[in-house]
Amino acid sequence: MNSHRRKLLQAIGGTGVVAAASPYLSFPAFAQNTPIRVGVIAPKAGIAGTIGECGLRGTMFAVERINATGGIAGRKVELIVEEETNPKDSIERLRKLVLQDKVDCVQGIVSSGVSLAMGAVAEEMKALLIFWDGTTQDGVKETMASPRYVFRSTDNECEAVMASLLAIKYWKGKFKTIAGINPDYSYGRNNFAAFQALLKKFGVEHKVVADQWPKVGTTDLNSHVAALKAAKPDLVFSSLLFADLPIFMRTAHGAGLMDGGTKFVFPAAGFQHTALKKSFTPEGMIFGHNTLYFDHKDASPLQKDFVKMYVDKYKDYPHWEADRAYFAMQVFKAGVEAAQKAKNAWPGKEDIISAMEGVKVQSLGGPGHMRKDHIAEQTFYQGLTTHKNGYDFPTLGTVDTMYSDRIQKPPGGDFWKWIETAQIKL
Amino acid sequence: MRTAVGVLVLASLAALFALPSVLSAYYITLVLPAVAYAIALLGFNLLFGYTGLLSFGHALYVAVGAYGAAVLSSKLGIKSFELVLLLSGAAAVAAAIPVALLSVRYEKIFFGILTLAFGMLFHSFLFKFYDITGGDTGIRVLRPSLFGNEFKDLDKTAFLVGPFYYYCVGLLAVLGFVMWRIVHSPFGLHLVASRENRRKSEYLGVRVRFFRLIAFSISAFYCAVGGAILAINTGQADPELAYWTHSGELVFMAVLGGFANFFGPLVGAFTFIFLKSELMGITQFWRFWLGLTLIVIVVLFPRGLVGLGQDLWTRLHRQ
Repeated sequence: MNSHRRKLLQAIGGTGVVAAASPYLSFPAFAQNTPIRVGVIAPKAGIAGTIGECGLRGTMFAVERINATGGIAGRKVELIVEEETNPKDSIERLRKLVLQDKVDCVQGIVSSGVSLAMGAVAEEMKALLIFWDGTTQDGVKETMASPRYVFRSTDNECEAVMASLLAIKYWKGKFKTIAGINPDYSYGRNNFAAFQALLKKFGVEHKVVADQWPKVGTTDLNSHVAALKAAKPDLVFSSLLFADLPIFMRTAHGAGLMDGGTKFVFPAAGFQHTALKKSFTPEGMIFGHNTLYFDHKDASPLQKDFVKMYVDKYKDYPHWEADRAYFAMQVFKAGVEAAQKAKNAWPGKEDIISAMEGVKVQSLGGPGHMRKDHIAEQTFYQGLTTHKNGYDFPTLGTVDTMYSDRIQKPPGGDFWKWIETAQIKL
Repeated sequence: MRTAVGVLVLASLAALFALPSVLSAYYITLVLPAVAYAIALLGFNLLFGYTGLLSFGHALYVAVGAYGAAVLSSKLGIKSFELVLLLSGAAAVAAAIPVALLSVRYEKIFFGILTLAFGMLFHSFLFKFYDITGGDTGIRVLRPSLFGNEFKDLDKTAFLVGPFYYYCVGLLAVLGFVMWRIVHSPFGLHLVASRENRRKSEYLGVRVRFFRLIAFSISAFYCAVGGAILAINTGQADPELAYWTHSGELVFMAVLGGFANFFGPLVGAFTFIFLKSELMGITQFWRFWLGLTLIVIVVLFPRGLVGLGQDLWTRLHRQ
C-alpha cells in the first residue's frame, strides 16, 4: 500500500472545471466543490503496524461509503496518510498535514506517548484533531483539561474496568491469589492498578503474588512466565496487546502455566485475536474485543458489511482500531453536516467543533457519541472464549456488552475517586 | 582556501536567515530540528571526527537537554531560554563527567559499548521513574521567552518560524564559531594528535585522558543545547530521545555529511532531516531507503557528502 495515499477524488464536474470557472463563483460555492481534506496519522511498521493498518482500512471503508453517497455535506473526502512513529517525528507529520497540505481535520494515533505530545501541539496550532486511540492518561488524570480542538477516544482504561467487572462477575470466590503481566508503561500500570482497585471495591479478597512488567514488544518472555508459574496464582491479569501477547500465550502454554486451572483475563486480546491460535489458547479466558467484536451474532448490517468486505479484501478479521477510525470519521462528518445545516452555509472550523460536541453516530461496533468534554463514549464487547467456531482461533462464547458510560469516568472526574465512589454495576 | 570557506559560511548563514521569506512555515519547522541537530553534531564530531572516539550513546545528552528544558519550563516555571540553555548544558556536563571519566580510559568498540550502556541506563531511568520523568509519556516543554520577550501575540507556529528560528540560527552561528576556534586551537590539535597516535602523543606530553574528558564534556554541552531546541520545537521531552536508535541517528548524520570535515556533520544534519521527511511522505519503506543511502555513502563515498563535493570541486578545478 502506498504511504502517501492521496486519493484525489474528483468533485462534481471535476476540480479543473471548477478552477476554470472560479472567477464566476462565490467562495462558498467553490469551497463546496473541492474535496474535504482529511489527514490520517497511523503506525505502519513495528509493533503497532498491524493495528495502524486495520485502522486505515476502517477509515478507507468510511470514506468510500461517504463518497459513494455524496460526500460530507456535498463535498467528497480526500485522504492524506502519514506515518505515526515517535512523538517528535509524528508532530512533524502533523505540522506537514496542517501547514503544508492544509487539511480540514487530522485523525489517527495509536500510541499514548504520541497522543499526549500531539494533543498539546494541535491545541496550540488550533488544528482539529480526532484521536482513534492512545488515550492512556498519566496516572489517569486529564493532561488536557478542556481541549478546544482535540477530540479523544474513550479512556484506554475502559477495557480494564470492563474485564475486571467480568472477572468479578464470573469468578468471585474462585480465586485468592492474583498475578499480573502487563506492558511496562502507563497503560499496563494503570490497567493492573484499576483491576486491583475494583477487586477492593467489590470486596474481593486477594493477594498479589507476582507482577511482571515486560517492555513493550519483548520477544522473549520465558523468565516472566517462569516467575508467574513459580508464584502459582489463581488468576493472571494481562493487558499485553501487541505482538508480545501471542508470544506470551505460546510461552505460557509451553511452560504449562495454563494446565492447572489458572484463570486468565486479557482486556485487550482483541488486537491479536487472529494470532492467538486454538492450539495454545485455551477456552474460558476473558478476552476484550473493545469497541468491535467481528463475530457478534447481533451485529448491525453496517458491521456485517464491513466484516464481509474486510474478509474478502484482506483475508483477515478486523479488530477495534477499524471501529475507532470509522467512528472518528463519522463524528467529523456528523459535525460538519450539523454545522452546515445550522448555518445554512459552509461552516468554519469553530462551527464544526461546536457541532461535534454531543454528536451521536452509528459506528461499526454500535452506537456512540462524542461528549461535550471531547471524550468519546462507545459500546464495548468482552466475554469468555470458546473453541466452538469455524476459525483456528478462539472467539467469544458469551458476549457481554457495556456502553462506556458504565466503565468510564464522567466529565471532569478523577478516575481513582470514580472507582471508589461510583455505583458500578457488575 | 580559508577565504572561500568564509564566504561559503557567510552565504549559508545568509541563506538560513532568508529562508522564512522563501519557504513555507512547514519547511521552516523542519529546518529547526536540522539546526538543533547541527549544533548537537558540532559537539558530537569533536569527539568522533577530531578525537577518534565514536560514541553510541550521545542521545543521552540530547535527552538531558530536552528534559532540562521540560523540567525548567513545566515544573520550575523558568521561561528564559538563555537560562534553560545554560542550566541544561550544565546538567549535561555534570552527567558527562562521570561517564567520561570511565569511558575515555578505553577506545574503539569498548568506548562505543560503554557510552551505549550509559545511554540505555539513562533511557531506563526516564522510562521507569514515572513520578520524576513522566515515564513513557514524558514531560511537556513550554514555550520559552527569548531575551525576556515572550512574544505572546504570536501563536506557537508563528513563534517557532519567527523569533525562535532566528534565535536558533544565531545560536548555531555563535556555537559554530566557538567550535571552529576550539578545533583549531592547541587543544584541538592535541585531540587530533591523540587520535592519530595515542602513545606517541602521550610521549610528547599530551594529557590524553584529560583532554578527552574535556572534549567529552564540551560535546555533551552542545548536544544538550541541541536537545533543548528539539524539545521546544516538539513541545515534549520523551524517553525515545535517549534511546540507542537516536544515538544511531547522530552517527548516521555525521557519516552522511562526512565526519572528517568540520562542516560535514552540519550538512549531514540538514540532509538527513529533509531526506527522512520526504521519504516518509513518499513511501512506507523509508527506513529501507535511509539504510540503503547509508550503505551507499559508506561504501562509495566514505568521506560523506562534503567529501564528495570536495572531490568534484577538485576535479572541476583541474579541468
